[in-house]
Amino acid sequence: MRYLIAALVLVSSSSVLGDPIKDAVEARQGYFIMLSTNMHPLSAMAKGELDYDEAAAAMYGSNIEVLSQYTLPMHFPKGSSTGELGKATGAKAKIWTNFEDFNQKFADFQKAAEGAGESVKGGKNNVGPVVQKIGKTCKACHDEYRVKND
Amino acid sequence: MTDEIAPAASGVERTKLWDPFLRGFHWLLAVVVVGGWTLGEFGPDVMTLHFWCGYTVAGLLAFRVVWGFIGPRPARFTELISGPRTFWAYARHLFERHPSYWPGHNPMGALAVIAMLAILAAQIGTGLISDPDDFINVGPLASSVASEIRHAAVGWHHLGAIAVLGLIMLHIGFVLFYRLWKHEDLVRPMLSGWKLVRKNSDPH
Repeated sequence: MRYLIAALVLVSSSSVLGDPIKDAVEARQGYFIMLSTNMHPLSAMAKGELDYDEAAAAMYGSNIEVLSQYTLPMHFPKGSSTGELGKATGAKAKIWTNFEDFNQKFADFQKAAEGAGESVKGGKNNVGPVVQKIGKTCKACHDEYRVKND
Repeated sequence: MTDEIAPAASGVERTKLWDPFLRGFHWLLAVVVVGGWTLGEFGPDVMTLHFWCGYTVAGLLAFRVVWGFIGPRPARFTELISGPRTFWAYARHLFERHPSYWPGHNPMGALAVIAMLAILAAQIGTGLISDPDDFINVGPLASSVASEIRHAAVGWHHLGAIAVLGLIMLHIGFVLFYRLWKHEDLVRPMLSGWKLVRKNSDPH
């Protein structure tokens, strides 16, 4: 009886959880959309395509800081590369053979995002360096671990 | 300058083949393409210099197109296009161990020139619309195309870079082949403009 209950619990919980791989891909892609939603206006302000607004810039910067504190690599479980999922993801299989380096790349981003909310205050010219500092860490990881021809 | 390419064979004359603008175009293009390529692959993460190389290549290509219509005869596009008969006639003699004395772009080299100009133009196009999602190296025209296009363009730009490398290798390989196998120096004429060519030569 005990085993039967355990089995039922397992079956029902797994159906509640759904497909963990699919969830992971959706979670990380959602994360990147949130990140880019905050990076884009900062980049546009730095280029002068969008009028500088200190309060807005500070909000975007702080949002990026907050996002950077989230443990993104947990949404990269084994079995979620382009090898298994095809075009549903841009994650190269080599992420999992270099997971330490992958984590390091995320740590670099976290470091670059530190203080972003404050640093973008005080004028348009303060935005560019922040965008560059963070953008470099985006590029470093994309170059290594994201497929180019999606 | 004169004696190093004094006529070595009868029926051959020394002639001013490549005009200064074409030579300037060639060497500037070589520097900027190699520079841009190297910066793209190994340069700093903030790719401002790579972008400027790209804009310069675009300007040089624009000049070359104009020059292809209004420039001196050896630079004209009409000289680049030859029929299959001329092409095969040239190809048959390619491996003979003597200079071609060809007065301009030979029919096989012309195809490489066209390929090079086309692939560089394509690189400019894909570069301008590329969005690598890093917020610092976004092509200036990326926002004017659909999101799938600007993201796929990064991949196309990368494939294009491989093609450019291949063409450069092929180009240098053939220049060496002409120098070592056919005993014909193609580099000096591109520097000085003077080349040994067949007398009364008409490429058609």
